[in-house]
Amino acid sequence: MSDAMQSSAPVLAVDDLSIALPKGGDRPFAVENVSFEIKPNEVVCLVGESGSGKSMIAHAVLQLLPRGVDIVSGTVTVAGQNPSKLDGRGLRNLRGGNAAMIFQEPLSSLNPLKRVGKQIEEMILAHQRPVPSMAEVRARVQILLTQVGLPNPLLLEKSYPFELSGGQRQRVMIAMAMANRPALLIADEPTTALDVTTQRQILRLIDDLRRERGMGVLLITHDFGVVADVADRVVVLRHGKVVEQGAASEVLRNPQAAYTRELIDAVPKARLADIHETIVRPEPLLEVVGLQKTFRVKRGWLQPPREVVAADGISLTLHEGETLAVVGESGSGKSTLGRMIMRLTEPDAGAIRFGGADLRQLRGEALRQARRQLQIVFQDPFASLDPRQKVGDAIARGPMAYGTSRSEAMAQARKLLVRVGLSETTADRYPHEFSGGQRQRICIARALALKPRVLIADEAVSALDVSVQAQVLALLAELRQEMRLAMIFITHDLRIAAEIADRVIVLQKGRIVEEGTTAAVFTAPRQAYTRDLLDAIPGRDFFDQPGFAAAAETARIDSGIDAV
Amino acid sequence: METARAFLRHPSGMIGLLLLLVVVVVAITAPIVFPVSPWEMVGAPFTPPGEDGLWLGGDTLGRDVAAGVAYGARVSLLIGIASALAAMAIGVVIGAISGYFGGKVDLVLMRMTELFQTIPAFVLAILLVATFNPSLLTIILTIGAVSWPPLARLTRAEFLRLRHREFVEAALCQGERTWRIVLGHILPNAISPILVVTSLTVATAILLESALSFMGLGDPNLMSWGFMIGAGRTVIRNAWWMSVFPGLAILVTVLAINLFGEGLSDVLNPRVSRRRS
Repeated sequence: MSDAMQSSAPVLAVDDLSIALPKGGDRPFAVENVSFEIKPNEVVCLVGESGSGKSMIAHAVLQLLPRGVDIVSGTVTVAGQNPSKLDGRGLRNLRGGNAAMIFQEPLSSLNPLKRVGKQIEEMILAHQRPVPSMAEVRARVQILLTQVGLPNPLLLEKSYPFELSGGQRQRVMIAMAMANRPALLIADEPTTALDVTTQRQILRLIDDLRRERGMGVLLITHDFGVVADVADRVVVLRHGKVVEQGAASEVLRNPQAAYTRELIDAVPKARLADIHETIVRPEPLLEVVGLQKTFRVKRGWLQPPREVVAADGISLTLHEGETLAVVGESGSGKSTLGRMIMRLTEPDAGAIRFGGADLRQLRGEALRQARRQLQIVFQDPFASLDPRQKVGDAIARGPMAYGTSRSEAMAQARKLLVRVGLSETTADRYPHEFSGGQRQRICIARALALKPRVLIADEAVSALDVSVQAQVLALLAELRQEMRLAMIFITHDLRIAAEIADRVIVLQKGRIVEEGTTAAVFTAPRQAYTRDLLDAIPGRDFFDQPGFAAAAETARIDSGIDAV
Repeated sequence: METARAFLRHPSGMIGLLLLLVVVVVAITAPIVFPVSPWEMVGAPFTPPGEDGLWLGGDTLGRDVAAGVAYGARVSLLIGIASALAAMAIGVVIGAISGYFGGKVDLVLMRMTELFQTIPAFVLAILLVATFNPSLLTIILTIGAVSWPPLARLTRAEFLRLRHREFVEAALCQGERTWRIVLGHILPNAISPILVVTSLTVATAILLESALSFMGLGDPNLMSWGFMIGAGRTVIRNAWWMSVFPGLAILVTVLAINLFGEGLSDVLNPRVSRRRS
């Protein structure tokens, strides 16, 4: 941190920037009078909820604003240049040269038809003048792949993006961004699509590279946990205006604006929930025994199919009124488990006992009747509502399918909408009129309309902003008390699991590696894998200690030493 | 409503719609404007356009070409729309079953579709019409039977795309029955491209009908554009009007439907962006 202070000219200076939105939008400006600076070797976090304009700023820096969205006043200076004054050639030299950007979804930002090594070579060839020899370029690609911590770079450069995991793809993106030693790295929610352990590795990698090269980093995030881990300075945005900015430790310890306070409070603190008054009955409500599932992905016709084990003998029990969290990294098979219980994915072997029957043996009408008792809330609130169906219908359909009259089902739907914190008039509107958090409330209402006994929440809050997450979690906690719901809460975020669950199951590659009460798993994890997951919680060092204000400084230093 | 308003602002789509309306008006008002049957000989054979009160001239037997074109519009539109609807019915049912159930059902249905696709449509149509006696119904069914494969493939692709979307799975979990999921959730979300292709199928159906009539395989009781061209073809060098006017009628109608269909596709395609930026 100290070397960040003494440095020279800023690599990025945003001065009184205002960006206008096309007429007819929900507000006239995407961002208004925003000013901040990034010095070499400094990490500045731009924090805000979705729609706060944080991505717009990043896009304005590289002149990537969508058509109809323009800078109306103020200037952006990147390494001494004003991108809006540059011609096509100058702009090309800037992008990927002095200023590089990485995006949220690494899969869609890599060319799916090109080997990753080629894509990195392209970056070097486009920018280095005179053009280096191919041998030099190849050597450079190898170095880059090694630097971003990818195993076996020789083999890896010949891979296609789809063959890599999400974390590996993001590392490739970072390697591409690093290819021309940029002075400024812009990272737009680089870890939002990744699970916690990978998130931590990627954040560390960015931090290491920043130290080594002394570049400035603009990190965009909605998560104050991430801020606590890596930021030197923070700029808090709301509705396009800067609410607060300053040194990270200062803002975190002593936020001046009420809004900043709210955002910090909304970060799930991995504090154990204190609502565990579950009466454990001897008879479990749902019992899963020895579930097996292997996905076979066909490759070329000479290669053997690739096998992915999603479930390898998973057994679990769930009692009435109990919340069971299933945690694990992406690819651990946790979503498949939920889908198998719902009978959306067919298991290879095993039994799912519910209400005296094995769900796997049920077909047709019997399965339809059993499904009524089990409901699911999906991760993506945008994909899980029919765009052509009114919200009221979406909720009323379920009871109507089981014989409730339309008028009764609609009345019930309206009541449920009020219960989940929306208004009755919501019923007559279409899903696209609602925000992510509101849609997820609608999905919860839809699931509860059938008065289920078991609710499966498959990453139900992962796609939401941190502040909205907290509200939806609180709603779920209330509802489960009220309706004596048994809940299976599938998540990659241990902070959330800690806040809501009575018991936790840790999955790794389709196997249960640890199982126990939330308190036991969180305070005394028996497995190294669980400890890794716990350590990866962003901002854990910062938020974990009671009265975290005092401990903050040591936490920063600790994580700093770790990273080097 | 939004779609209708967007269509009003689509220039070529509106031109198509207006032309189409003209054809429809001509077809509807044919018995009023031309109270005499188009088969009736009303003037001397080979009357040039404008003479004897025959605007578009008379044919080899002295029948009114203008009346023929007007009555032909009824036949062309009726056969075009009816056979496109028949093709849609067959195509959507087969595509929907194939896409929704997948597996072996899909395999069998798609191989069958390919079989139909590999046989040239016109040859098959001639074969079918020649086998069954040419009548309005058999012609409609025949054209429907050779035009459904593209619609089936499109419907299947849309169903495959939507089948595992979360809102469909949510409906399944809500206990909705299969037919309700298909009709209530998947089909409404797949309908836009299906409608566009169906509207374009109307144009090809009109062309197919004209070609069949030209070959003498039309319904002998119906005055159709293809039949008129076929009948006037041998004397085209000294009596151009007998083939040119029905030909123009086909051109205008097919062009109108294509413009309309493309306009529809432009308006329906840019899906309302459901994600916020």
